[in-house]
Amino acid sequence: MDPITSYLGIACLLFVIGGIGICLRRNAIVLFMCVEMMLNAVNLAFVAFSKIHGNLDGQIAVFFVMVIAAAESAIGLAIILSVFRSVASIETTDAAELKW
Amino acid sequence: MVELLILLLKVFLVMNLALVLGSTCTWLERKGSALIQDRVGANRAGAFVYSDNRFVNILLAPLRMAGWLGLINTLLCDSLKGIAKEDFIPEGSSKFLHAMAPVVAVLPIMLAFAVLPLAPDFYAWDYLVHARVASIDAGILFVLAMGSVAVYGIALAGWTGNNKFSILGSLRAVAQMISYELPMGLVFVSLIVIYGSLDVYTMVEKQQELLWGIVPAWGVVYQPVGFIVLLLAGMAETKRGPFDLPEAESELTAGYFTEYSGMKFLLFWLGEFCEIALFALLLALLFFGGWDIPWVTLPKDVWWAAIIGHAVLMAKVIFFCVLQIVIRWTLPRFRYDQLMNLGWKMLLPVALINLVVTAVAKVLL
Amino acid sequence: MSFMEFVLAAIGIASALGVVGFRNPLSSAFSLIVHLLSIAGLYALLGAHFLAVSQVVVYAGAIMVLVLFVLMLLNLKSESGRRIGIVRSALTLGVGLVIFLAISGPMLAQFENIPQATLEHNVKASEGTVKAIGEVLYSEYMVQFELSSLVLLVGVVGAVMLAKRKNVQLAPREGGMRGGN
Repeated sequence: MDPITSYLGIACLLFVIGGIGICLRRNAIVLFMCVEMMLNAVNLAFVAFSKIHGNLDGQIAVFFVMVIAAAESAIGLAIILSVFRSVASIETTDAAELKW
Repeated sequence: MVELLILLLKVFLVMNLALVLGSTCTWLERKGSALIQDRVGANRAGAFVYSDNRFVNILLAPLRMAGWLGLINTLLCDSLKGIAKEDFIPEGSSKFLHAMAPVVAVLPIMLAFAVLPLAPDFYAWDYLVHARVASIDAGILFVLAMGSVAVYGIALAGWTGNNKFSILGSLRAVAQMISYELPMGLVFVSLIVIYGSLDVYTMVEKQQELLWGIVPAWGVVYQPVGFIVLLLAGMAETKRGPFDLPEAESELTAGYFTEYSGMKFLLFWLGEFCEIALFALLLALLFFGGWDIPWVTLPKDVWWAAIIGHAVLMAKVIFFCVLQIVIRWTLPRFRYDQLMNLGWKMLLPVALINLVVTAVAKVLL
Repeated sequence: MSFMEFVLAAIGIASALGVVGFRNPLSSAFSLIVHLLSIAGLYALLGAHFLAVSQVVVYAGAIMVLVLFVLMLLNLKSESGRRIGIVRSALTLGVGLVIFLAISGPMLAQFENIPQATLEHNVKASEGTVKAIGEVLYSEYMVQFELSSLVLLVGVVGAVMLAKRKNVQLAPREGGMRGGN
């Protein structure tokens, strides 16, 4: 495996680790952090592809993914805060039922 | 291999410089605050050494002078006291995080010294020496990045203190630091617009000329508003001056420093003074021409011009350190809401308008 | 792989496992910060210099501060309640492994033999200096750039509206400190 392909392998591994984290963790903020990790894995793959193909399109894509991730994190954390106010817990199993 | 050795030498010298500047600022603070508050300051330790032997007595005279000036007290006794104090970890907090907090707070500040040039380039035996540790592509953005990472040391320090004063102080400090990063970043962007490059060395090089024949083309001439904004934002970032509510000694016991004693506290303290030196260096490089003496041109790429340039730069750095210390000891501190209002409602719009005006002027002129 | 690449990749994977594995959410957050910094290092090694610095400024310097703020304001203890059973964990790990092999297998097989000359040519062309990215960003991707500013505006307004305190009573908690307003 040449070095650039190993970057793609690392990106896949990080993506799957993030996915496993989403399945295994119940704390909403840790879920959110695992989503960020998956986004980072995708970013790493984009940058590696940009080097493979020899143009900057991959890096521009990473730029936009970062922008979207920043906006999404602000809104996601605000949602978590709102849920916390009504349910008093941020474990996803506590907010799983519609009422009570 | 030679490159690696030269790099290590540069790292050693720059770290030395950062630490020496930081310690000098501690001494300046003690004596400067004493002068401003109309008292004498520390002058006892080492001022009374005496020997019956006449030769040894004459040799001890500089030591007596240093002690009278307070140097021995600040530089030697404080460090020994810090090392000898008991180092305790608050109950119920993670040992590792408590020990890592000062490191995470100080390390980015030291790293930010790596991209700042300290002297003009010069030739030493056919080898062009760049007087900075790393010439990276993103130049001044690296300083901004390191300022962003230094926030975590404060957050960790407050959290592992495990008491209300620490957490309150650290939350306030983190909010203050991230709020004032915005005007700082915008001032950097206006400077990038003017000088057309992110590299700090290029910015300093372009300030060596004369505008219209009389005025030196310094950054403060191009961007007076930017200078004021960076001065204020820098003092708020270092939590110094009138912005030191997070470590307000009279209100929060010691804010996020509460649970730190001994060497860890001294590490925080030294990091704070190194950050003062970092901002003084930034102001001197970006706004006051760096190593430029106003109407004198020295030959380029010569080693003695580099030494003179470095001395001029250090003089400007000391001037800005003294300026920050004087501002700290003359102004009362802001209330928290005043501080936040200043950052968001005053500095941020001013920095934005400054950027727009700069960009328009650059296009039109 | 060179030594730096190996070290950074190892730190990245170890901290990713730390994010998933730590019980205390604060330790997960700090592990994620280490992960983001190591990924920034990998970007720099791949030649994406501007992205490396902007990753530190945006992700590690702003997003994670926001996460830390929320964690400290909510003042949580570690996860309570029923732990996930061993069967379910093992099943999740197994499915994860299968997915990993399914994703990475064909992709790595496809990009196996990139000629070295192409890679060396690409180093120059894909050098992500600020100037190069600026030239591409503001010419080809101008519309997307303006739209992303709109997305950020929506994000700011939405976050403020969602997090604004309405006049409701909080459920009582067993101690811990209430964050500031």
